[in-house]
Amino acid sequence: MPPKPEPGMREVAYALAVRTALTEEMRRDERVFVMGEDIAVYGGVYGATRGLLHEFGEKRVRDTPISEAAIAGMAAGAALGGLRPVAEIMYCDFLSIALDAIANNAAKLRYMSGGQLALPLVIRTSAGGHGYAAQHSQSLEAWVAHIPGLKVLTPGTCADARGLLKSAIRDPNPVVVIEHKALYETRGLMPAEERLEPLGVARVARAGDAVTLVSWSAMAGVCLEAAEELAREGIEVEVIDLRTLLPLDIETVLASVRKTGRLVVAHEAVQYGGFGGEVVAQLAERAWGHLKAPPLRVGSRFAPIPFAEPLESYVLAGKHDIMEAVRGVL
Amino acid sequence: MAGGPSTEQLLGLYADMLRVRFFEEKIDKELFPAGLIRGLTHLYIGQEATGVGVIRALEPRDYVLTTHRGHGHCLLRGSPPARIFAEILGRRDGLCRGKGGSMHLCDTATHFIGANPIVGADIPIGAGLALACKYLENGRIVAAFFGEGAMNTGAFHEASNLASLWRLPLFMICENNRYAISVSLERSSAVTKLDERAICYDIWHEEVDGMRVREVFEAARRAAEVCRTHQQPVLLVCNTYRFAGHYSKDTLRYRPAEEAIEMFREHDPIHLAERELADSCEVPMDDLVALRERIRREIDEAAEMALRSEPPPEEWALEDVYAPEA
Repeated sequence: MPPKPEPGMREVAYALAVRTALTEEMRRDERVFVMGEDIAVYGGVYGATRGLLHEFGEKRVRDTPISEAAIAGMAAGAALGGLRPVAEIMYCDFLSIALDAIANNAAKLRYMSGGQLALPLVIRTSAGGHGYAAQHSQSLEAWVAHIPGLKVLTPGTCADARGLLKSAIRDPNPVVVIEHKALYETRGLMPAEERLEPLGVARVARAGDAVTLVSWSAMAGVCLEAAEELAREGIEVEVIDLRTLLPLDIETVLASVRKTGRLVVAHEAVQYGGFGGEVVAQLAERAWGHLKAPPLRVGSRFAPIPFAEPLESYVLAGKHDIMEAVRGVL
Repeated sequence: MAGGPSTEQLLGLYADMLRVRFFEEKIDKELFPAGLIRGLTHLYIGQEATGVGVIRALEPRDYVLTTHRGHGHCLLRGSPPARIFAEILGRRDGLCRGKGGSMHLCDTATHFIGANPIVGADIPIGAGLALACKYLENGRIVAAFFGEGAMNTGAFHEASNLASLWRLPLFMICENNRYAISVSLERSSAVTKLDERAICYDIWHEEVDGMRVREVFEAARRAAEVCRTHQQPVLLVCNTYRFAGHYSKDTLRYRPAEEAIEMFREHDPIHLAERELADSCEVPMDDLVALRERIRREIDEAAEMALRSEPPPEEWALEDVYAPEA
């Protein structure tokens, strides 16, 4: 159930929140343009760019051929030439094809040039299991969060889908925004007025004193559901939505763990080698004395994402895994 | 010579080739053997006519991108040779503060957006820059150099298609030096007539003897004109040869020694230009010798200046990872 609209808030679909950010930023800055597969005439496979072509025309809303390497490489080049490209890589699984331009070039050209170059570009992509099997379902934020020079955003709410994307477009660095494909059609609240969300600031989505539960993207919403159920058992969980993984707001997590002494990190990505390990490690290094129990990670099982529904459900981490982990640290 | 460069222009092109040759020889014969350069260096010796001919056909406002074999292009765009040496030596006065080295030279002051050692990567980046030029209507074109090896990458294919589809002012220069590291053109490419690959992208193309600087210059002028005026990509294939190895430690076991000797004897671009200047243009040999000595001295002094530069301080290592927010 979407939360009830409050004063100053507006209920929208996540895809519309994305489109709102793009529209506002394109109206504000002539240098901002969007490019990607099926984004112009078709309006994006999830409708996130619908209507942009009509308002801004072909110069600024560009359908590309199926050329991920060139989409990302040209976005880097266009940024070097003074533009503010927002390139879409339809599924984050396809980052593998574009990764040279993103990780070897966009992320490093400024550094290798000794600070001469700047690459203000955004790569929008989508993650998450949604019945599409192994090559269209992954959550690969750890791939990009490992690269110095990139910023990595994982909006899990409508307010963040718009506010973080706006900040990404204005950022002078290459930013990868990983949206979640299961969220595009879901509805939620975003401010009626234009608002930018800062990078590197986590949000305490629910206050609690028993366990700190850290997550991001769609999984942050699942954590809130788990927390509500656990509250009925008398367990008050503090849910923190990191919102951006790079930069990472570890201080908010530290403050919470100092209070609760217990930590669970939950993400949809494969648990093994996932970004949750980084969060747990930083907490272990800096708040060991505050921990009353070994921290636990919740992530997907170690297999490619399968197609059939019962198999997918088995592999993907979900609410019950989270609840079990929370009980496990108590 | 009708319509081609005058004697004075040819002399200028010759001097530019010497500058690049002596720069590279300084590395090859002195700095690298002395253990002063770490990592990899890829020398441009033998290919000077292509870089000189093309870059002299560009305007100062144009962008240039190149490969790991990019010392010459950087120098030709006008970066101070001492600062290029300093970068290759990993010193604090290097163009990139010692963070890029030989393979990642960059100088925004000359719009040299840099050397890029990921083979083929500069082509889509160049196409993106060309998109920006067209979008901003700033009249610039983008020259992207690459080797024949890069033509077998997906990046070349994707960028060529898009540059043509969107009619972007991208000047693609293939420096065909016949070997992609150790694998010859014949052993790596099903179609060895490289300029004809442009046909399937509907791209204007020309092939030129990359050892003759005058011919490269004239072809590059034509190509740049088409690219700028008609806002469309062009492909110029320059058939050339590298006299040195792929990199400084290359054993060269993949090509017959006689081949390189024959190429050097018959096709050295500097020797060819020199012969033309002396025979057809009747420039006195003494003038040419004096010019050589002057340029040699300039390069020696630049290297000495670079060697006096200190290594960068440790604290620079964590700078320039991100651009500061405005």
